[in-house]
Amino acid sequence: MGMTWLSLTIGLPWLGALVVWLVGDRDEKITHTLAVAFSLAAGVAAVLLLPFGKERLVYSIPIGGVFGDFTFVVDGLGVFLAAIATVVGSLAVIFSVDYMHGEQQLTRYYAFVLFFIGGMAGLVLTSNLLLMFFFWEITALCSYALISFHNDDPKAVAGGIKALIITQLGGIGLLAGALLLYTYTGSNDFQAFLENPALLPAGALAWMGFGCLIAAAAKSAQFPFQTWLPDAMEAPTPISALIHAATMVNAGVYLLARFYPAFAEVPGWREAVMICGMLSALLAAIMAMVATDLKRVLAYSTISQLGFMVYAVGAGGVFASQFHLLSHSVFKALLFLAAGAVIHSVGTRDMRQMGGLGKDMPLTRAVFVVGGLALAGIPIFNGFWSKELILEAGLHDNPLWLYGLMLLVAGLTAFYTLRMMSMVFYGEARAGRHVHDAGNAMKAALLPLAVGSLTTWLLAGPFGHLLAESLPAHHLKAHGTLAIVEEVITAPATYLALGVVAVGLLAGWQRQRLSALGQALSGVSKAAAESFGFEAINRGVVNAAQKLAEWLRVTQPGLLNWNVFAILCALLILLASLAVGGR
Amino acid sequence: MNLSVPNIVILIVIGLLGVGAYALLTVRNLIKVVVALQIMVKAAMLALVLAGRLQGQENLGQSLALTVIVADTIVAVVGLALAVEVRRVVGSLDLKALTTLRR
Repeated sequence: MGMTWLSLTIGLPWLGALVVWLVGDRDEKITHTLAVAFSLAAGVAAVLLLPFGKERLVYSIPIGGVFGDFTFVVDGLGVFLAAIATVVGSLAVIFSVDYMHGEQQLTRYYAFVLFFIGGMAGLVLTSNLLLMFFFWEITALCSYALISFHNDDPKAVAGGIKALIITQLGGIGLLAGALLLYTYTGSNDFQAFLENPALLPAGALAWMGFGCLIAAAAKSAQFPFQTWLPDAMEAPTPISALIHAATMVNAGVYLLARFYPAFAEVPGWREAVMICGMLSALLAAIMAMVATDLKRVLAYSTISQLGFMVYAVGAGGVFASQFHLLSHSVFKALLFLAAGAVIHSVGTRDMRQMGGLGKDMPLTRAVFVVGGLALAGIPIFNGFWSKELILEAGLHDNPLWLYGLMLLVAGLTAFYTLRMMSMVFYGEARAGRHVHDAGNAMKAALLPLAVGSLTTWLLAGPFGHLLAESLPAHHLKAHGTLAIVEEVITAPATYLALGVVAVGLLAGWQRQRLSALGQALSGVSKAAAESFGFEAINRGVVNAAQKLAEWLRVTQPGLLNWNVFAILCALLILLASLAVGGR
Repeated sequence: MNLSVPNIVILIVIGLLGVGAYALLTVRNLIKVVVALQIMVKAAMLALVLAGRLQGQENLGQSLALTVIVADTIVAVVGLALAVEVRRVVGSLDLKALTTLRR
């Protein structure tokens, strides 16, 4: 039975992509209905797959020769991320029915969304590193295609290409890891390797570990690759919610968590991971405090929260990081979709032109506040429990200064969340504006996510057991939900964190009075608005590449004879090197 | 070097390859380029048959050669069709006229 659900989880969205594409743009209603039906069916299949996570089913497709078997493993980490991808995916598709209403070329949109959902499910369910690399690139390709969906908008095209190039750069790290694994173990399957990392010599293991860290940082928009995510906000908002908040950007955290047992002993690896997460969390939080574009604020907060997860993996809190991943997927998808409802209604993304929207959009305000409080880490909401677990993991035998900085970021998070909520929904309403609340399909997507933001922390116990039982190499300890709640409530660190969050909220509420402090720190905010120089570095790299290409143009005379000459020379060099070193 | 059959065939293969490569490097007429390509592919085909014979796998070598004939015919057809189109659009078969992609 498990095999059926497994193949349906990956196969249904891909089949849906094909069907939607073949049916074409004849009737908008048919396209919407097909996309919703296929994504919902995939979501159901993934949820039905969840109970099989404990059994750790292994499913191999012999592919022969070079690649080894294409193996899929149904374990706790995989089924849980596949369920997030398909369930949030189906909610985003439902939301799109309203959001993309009347758009041209819906076929292209839905085909890529469904292709992405299947690719993401495959990425987390396979245990073949080479196959994982293929799925990894499939998600990058879909992300590119959907960021640039409005391909007559140069900003959207540029954002898509930037995302594609940076994530490809990281993909090389993953490919290098796969090749190293194959060289030393003769197989692409990483299950045996996770249980016995000594299969690889220490040097190769370190290369592989840092290769995976680069891949993860590029995919999860972590320091120093974080610049692509804010530019990816040109995508339609359901895409931002699905790909750039709830699923694809989690692939990096997933990779680190999956390979934690293998790389934990590599000298310097855990510290590098923690510092990478801390820097991303801190820099992105500061940028979120000064940004005025609603979706960019959410993008920065995504980078920041992903930083928390990466930090948690480095600190050894694999469960805490995955639990925060679950919370974050739910509340950030909620925030993005609610922001989409606002943008759809107001027609701008600039928060300075919003304000006082709460009266006209009471439901959107209610769910946005739920998501915002979860993001800020207010008790009872799911973000609170998972963030506390991460901070607690940071206290166990880890550098205290890193913990202190993460605590500061928790306070900054509360500040920018409150600033964002009050700029959009509270304050004076602008005159002469006609806004309407979210449509029915939007509500159908928002409400389950809002309920989820309030309740998913109740799953902590079962989720922990699932992970502990199906990931023997990780040596996780499982506790019940009650035990976790008790642990969080009784820990003094919790109250320290809550205090910092309260200070952040207070500062956000009274931010007018703090303008003097803001003046004093104007240098920091200017640097943050310039994204701390990372955009300039990006531009420099692009310019250098263009100059080099311009210079290399000399080698292209455009005459067939010269091209043949070059090919023959290359062939001769190849033959000569084979003759010399081929033995 | 004695003039056994395999040696003669190898010499022919090398000769054909040389003629084809020389033509590819020097001719500018698009039709002649297609002809030169054909000559090189014929050399490869001959080499396949010979290799099959030397390895004792004549069936494999000859069926690969047949596959090459099929693929090669398509290359020739498409190449010549392109040449016709080029002649119609550009007005000349000279390769030098085909450098417009270069800025």
